[in-house]
Amino acid sequence: MSELLYERALIWIILLPLFGAILNGLFGRFANKDIVSALGVGSVAASFGLALICFAHLMTGMGASEQGTQIAVTAYQWFHISLPTVGGVHEVAIDVRFLMDALSGLMTLVVTGVGLVIHIYSLGYMKDDPGYARFFAYLNLFLASMLILVLGSNLPVMFVGWEGVGLCSYLLIGFWYQTPEFAAAGKKAFIANRIGDFGVLIGMFILVSAVGSFEFADINHAAPALTQPFFLGSWQLGTLATAAALFLFLGCTGKSAQIPLYVWLPDAMAGPTPVSALIHAATMVTAGVYLTCRLSPVFLESPTAMAVIAVIGSMTALVAASIAVAQNEMKKILAYSTVSQLGFMFAAVGVGAFSAGFFHVFTHAFFKACLFLAAGSVMHAVGSHSDADIFKLGGLRKIMPRTHAAFLLASLSIAGVPLFAGFFSKDEILLGAAELAYAPEPFSANWVGWFVLIVLGIAATLTAFYMFRMYFLAFWGDYRSAEGGPEAHDSDGHHAYDPNPHESPGSMTWPLLILGSGALVVGWLGLPHEWGLPNWWAGWMSHSIASVPVVEAAEGAEAGISLPFVTSMVFGLTAVTVGIGAAFKLYFNRSDDRFRDAMPRGLYQLMADKWRVDELYQRVLLRPLAALAAFVGWIDQTFVDMLLTRIPSQLALLSGFVATRIQNGRVYTYGAVMSVGLALVTWYFVVPRPLLDAETEGATASFEAAAGMGYAYRWDFDSDGTWDAPLQEHGESFGADRSPSHEYGPEALKSHVLLIAQEDGDDARFVLTDEPQPLPESLLPAGWMEDPSVGATPPSAFFDGERVILRRNSAVVATTGALVTEELIPLSMGERLLLGRLDTNRTSIRVGGLVEATVEVENSFGNRARQSVELVVNVPPERPEADAQASLTTTRDEVLR
Amino acid sequence: MEFAIGIYLALASALFGIGAIGFLLRRNALIQLMSIELMLNAVNVLLVAFNRVHPENMAGQVFAFFVIAIAAAEAAVGLAIVISLFRLKQTVETDSADELRY
Amino acid sequence: MSTANTVLLVVSALLALGGAVGTIAAARPLRAALALLVNIVALAGVFLSLHAQFLAMVQLIVYAGAVVVLFVFVIMMVGATGKVPRSPRGLATKTVSLVVMSVVSLVLVFGVAYVSMPAAHLPHGYGTVEGLGAVLFTQAAVPFELVSITLLVAVVGALAVARGRTPKEAAEARARRAAEGLEADARLAEERRISAEVSAHGGH
Repeated sequence: MSELLYERALIWIILLPLFGAILNGLFGRFANKDIVSALGVGSVAASFGLALICFAHLMTGMGASEQGTQIAVTAYQWFHISLPTVGGVHEVAIDVRFLMDALSGLMTLVVTGVGLVIHIYSLGYMKDDPGYARFFAYLNLFLASMLILVLGSNLPVMFVGWEGVGLCSYLLIGFWYQTPEFAAAGKKAFIANRIGDFGVLIGMFILVSAVGSFEFADINHAAPALTQPFFLGSWQLGTLATAAALFLFLGCTGKSAQIPLYVWLPDAMAGPTPVSALIHAATMVTAGVYLTCRLSPVFLESPTAMAVIAVIGSMTALVAASIAVAQNEMKKILAYSTVSQLGFMFAAVGVGAFSAGFFHVFTHAFFKACLFLAAGSVMHAVGSHSDADIFKLGGLRKIMPRTHAAFLLASLSIAGVPLFAGFFSKDEILLGAAELAYAPEPFSANWVGWFVLIVLGIAATLTAFYMFRMYFLAFWGDYRSAEGGPEAHDSDGHHAYDPNPHESPGSMTWPLLILGSGALVVGWLGLPHEWGLPNWWAGWMSHSIASVPVVEAAEGAEAGISLPFVTSMVFGLTAVTVGIGAAFKLYFNRSDDRFRDAMPRGLYQLMADKWRVDELYQRVLLRPLAALAAFVGWIDQTFVDMLLTRIPSQLALLSGFVATRIQNGRVYTYGAVMSVGLALVTWYFVVPRPLLDAETEGATASFEAAAGMGYAYRWDFDSDGTWDAPLQEHGESFGADRSPSHEYGPEALKSHVLLIAQEDGDDARFVLTDEPQPLPESLLPAGWMEDPSVGATPPSAFFDGERVILRRNSAVVATTGALVTEELIPLSMGERLLLGRLDTNRTSIRVGGLVEATVEVENSFGNRARQSVELVVNVPPERPEADAQASLTTTRDEVLR
Repeated sequence: MEFAIGIYLALASALFGIGAIGFLLRRNALIQLMSIELMLNAVNVLLVAFNRVHPENMAGQVFAFFVIAIAAAEAAVGLAIVISLFRLKQTVETDSADELRY
Repeated sequence: MSTANTVLLVVSALLALGGAVGTIAAARPLRAALALLVNIVALAGVFLSLHAQFLAMVQLIVYAGAVVVLFVFVIMMVGATGKVPRSPRGLATKTVSLVVMSVVSLVLVFGVAYVSMPAAHLPHGYGTVEGLGAVLFTQAAVPFELVSITLLVAVVGALAVARGRTPKEAAEARARRAAEGLEADARLAEERRISAEVSAHGGH
C-alpha cells in the first residue's frame, strides 16, 4: 500500500464512527434494532481494523529514521489567524491535520479497541433500553471526538475533539435524563470541564503567541526557547513555559479529574456502565495525560510546573484512594479508584516519566474498563440499575464464574501483583520517582521524587486494599441478598436485589474476558529493562515523547539492578503485599465491615463522606456565587425588566388600546379613512410642489427642484420677471430640466450683504443699503470694542455704489495677521475681516452679493406653482482683474502702514 | 384634429365620485354593491375613452371587456355574501356585520 | 365629432349621471336597481359614441341582462327587510366622507374636463365584433382563459357561500366545536402541570 492509502485510512478511522453517529442519531429511532447495532458496532470495528493496519505500518517503519515513521494528512485548510508580531503580521494557518505516530497510534488502538469491546458489551447491557439508538449514536460520536482529540496534529483540532468528548460525556452521563440527579451529574461534569477548558484555551493562546504555530511539532521544537518571563498584568508568572504548562494542566485537572476539579468524575457514574468504562475510565479521562505527553518538551522546560503536577497528581492518588476504601458501592469505589489511578499517571508525568505515565494510561484502560464492565455485569445480574452495594452481595464467585474470573484478573492487575499489567506500569512510575529522588546534583528536585514515591506507595497500598476488599466482599462468602439472607429485604421490605442472580449473556461476558486477559498481558509490552528484558514500549515512545534528562541518563545505563530500581521494587511489592494481606485478613469470607470498626469513627465517616470536598465547594464557591446570581437576578427583574419589558409592554398595550378604537366594525368609518387617504393622494398629484433647493460656489449656483409626475419647469435665475428658459412641453423633459446651474454676473445682484460668521451654524446675513447702518449687536462678538471706556457704537456698513465700506467705530478689526487702524475700511467681494479682541473668539465678516432665483412648475393637470430663493453669491467686480488686484493691494498697504 | 377626451374623463370622474359617495353613505349592502358597479363602470369609460386616442391593439377595450367579466363575477360573489349575511342577521344592513371590531 | 355623435354623447352622459344619482339616492333597493339599469344602458350609449359597438352590446348583455337581474332576484329574496331604515349613526364620519369625496370628485372633474388630445385614425374594424374578437382570441387568449376560470371559480364560490348549512352539517359543526374546546382545555391543563413540575425542579 502506498502512503496515500494510509493517509486515506487515517481519515476514515475518524469518519466511520462519525457517520455511524450521524446515521444512528438522525434515523436510528425509526430503524430496526439490528440495523442500529450493526451500524454502531460495525463502524467501530472497521475503524479498529483501519487503526490496526495503520499502526502495523508504523511499526514496520519504526526505527527507520530518527523521528520514527508517522502518518500525517491535511484533510483541509480550515482558516487563518493573523498574529501581530514585532515585524508585522504573521499568518498562522489552522489546518484540519491529523497525525499518527507511536503515541497517538497506541492511543488510537486503545480508543477503538476498548471502544469496540465496550460497544459489543453494550449490545447486551442496553438491550431493553428505549434510548438504544440514541445511546449508540452518542457512543459513536464520542469515539469520533476522541479520535479527533488523539489524532489531531495541532492544538485547535485537538481542542475540537477535547470539547467534543466533553459534550458526549455530558450527554451520556445524563443519558437517563428523566432522573434529575443524573441530569445534574451531567451538568456538574460539563461545568467542571468548562473551567478546565478555559485553562486549555489560555495555554493555547500563550503557546501560539510565543511560538507562532499551533502544530505540536513546531511547539515542541520551539519549547527550549520558551524562557521569557510571562506577565499577567504586572505580576510575573514564571516563564512562558511555566505559564503555558500550568494553564494546560488546569485543563487536564478538569478533563482528567485531578485536584481540585476531580469532583465531577464520581458523580459521572450516573451514566450507563459501559459509558463509565469507556469514557470515564479508559479513554476520555486520560486525555489530559495524553496532552501532557504530547507537549512534553514544553512541560519539561518548566521544573515549577513539573513539581506542581507531581505533587497534585500524587495527592490526588492518595486522597481518592483514601475515599475509595470507605465506599460500599462498586461503581463508586471504581470511580474513586479511577481518580486515584489518574493521579498515578500525573505523578509519573510530573517526575518526568512521561513514557511510564502513558504506559499506565494504556494498561489502566484494560483493567479499569474490565472492572467497570464486570461491575455492570454484576448489576445486570442482580437486577439493579444504578448501584451494587458490596455488603448486600457476596458469593458471586460461583454464580457468575466468567465475570468473577475477569474481575479477579483485573483486580490483580490494578493492585500491582507481579507479572500483571498494572505491576509493570505502576512499577515504571515508582521507578521514575525513585530516579528523581536519587538524581545527582544538577537535578535539584529530589524532594519531589521522595514525596511522590512515599505518597504513591501509600496510595498503592490502599489501592490493593480497597480492590480486594471489594473482591472478597462481592465474590466470596454467601449471597447475602438471597431469599432468607441477611440483606434480602431493604428497610421498606422490598427486594433490594434479585434474590436469584444469574450470569450475564455472552455478549457481556466475552468482552469482560477479552479485557481481563488484556489486563494480564498488555504489561509485557513494557518489561523493565533492568531485568535485561526488552522494553518495546519505551522504544516506541522515545520517538514521540521527550524524556527528562534523569531518565535518559538512567536508560543509557547498563541493564542491571540500580539503587532506584531496588527502592521502587521495595515500595511496589510492599504495597501489594500489605494491601492484599490486610484485605484478606479483614474481609475474606466475612460480611461485616471490620475495617470500619477498627478505624476511629470520625475519620472513617470523613472518608466515607469523601472528605466533604463537595460540601466545601458548596459553601466556599457555589453559595456566594448563588447569592451573587440571586442579587444580579433581582436587579435584572426589578430594574432592567422594568425598563426593557414592563414599560414598553405597557406602552404597546396603551397604543394598542388607542388603535383598537378605530376598529369599530362599521364600514363607513373605514370608508371615511379611505376617502381621506384618497384626498391626500389626489392633492399630492394635483398640486405641484417645486421644493427648490440651491447651492452656491463662487459665482455659480446649482439648483434642484423636486421631481414629480408630468412636471415641467421654467426658470428665472435673476427674478427679473422674464423667464430665462421656456417651459418644457409635457412628456418631453421628464425631470430633465429640474436641476440647472447658472453663473451670475454683477448685473444680477440685487444688493450686497455682509456675511457674519457665527460660532456655529450658518452665516448671518446683513443686507446693506446706501445709508450706513449699524451692525446689530447680537451678531457682534463679545469684546469687540477696542477701548471699553469709549462709548460703544457698533460698526456700521454701507454700499457706496462701487464698494462696501465698513465704518469701524473703534471696534477691533484685523485682516489675516494684522490689525486695521483705518476708520473706514473698503471691502471687496470675497475679502475676509476679523472682528473682536484678539484674545477672545473673533467673528469673521465678508461681503457677498444677493441674488434671487425663481422656478415655476407645471404638472399634468396644468396647475402651476412658483418658488423663489435668495442666494448669496461671490461675484467678482466688473473691473478688469489687474485693476481689482491693485485696488485691493492699495487698501492693504494703507491698512498695514 | 383634436379629440375632446376631457368630457369623457369628467364623466368618469363624476360617476366614480357618485359611486364612492354611495358606497360610503348607504348602509344597505345591496346599494353598496351597486355603487361598486358604478365605480367599475366609470373605470370602463376611462379605458374605452383613452383607447379612442390610442387605438392600437384595442388594448383599452379588451381591458374593459375583462373588467366587465370580473365585475360580473364580483357581483355574483358579493350577492352570495349578502344572502349569507341576510341568513345570519335577517337584515342586509352592513352595520349589523361588525363582529370583527375590537 | 359629428353632431349626431355629440347628441348621443350628451344625452347618454346626462342619463348616466342621472341613473347614478338615482342609484345611490333611492330609498328602496328595487328603485336603485332600476336606476342602475338606466345608468348601464346610458353607458352603452357612451360606448357607442366612442365607436365601441361590441363593448356596448356586452355592456347591455352582461350588466343589464345578468347583473341587474341578479340584483333584482336577490332583492326579491330579501324582501321587505331589504329596505334599511335611515339612522343618524355615524353622521360625523359620513359627513366627512361626503365632503371629502365631493371635493375630490369636483377637483378631478374640473381638472380634466378641458383636456383634449390629438384624434387618432381609427384602424379598420375598430370596436367591432370582428376586430375585438380577433384581438381577444390571438393576443389576449391567455387572459381570456384566465377570466373564464375566474368566472367558474366565482360561480362555485358564490354557490358555496350562499348555500348555507344543512341541519346535519350544522349538528356536526357544533359537535366539532365542543370537542375542540375539550381538547384545548386538556392542553392547557397539561401545560400547567409541566410548568409546575419545571418550577419544582428548578427549586433545587
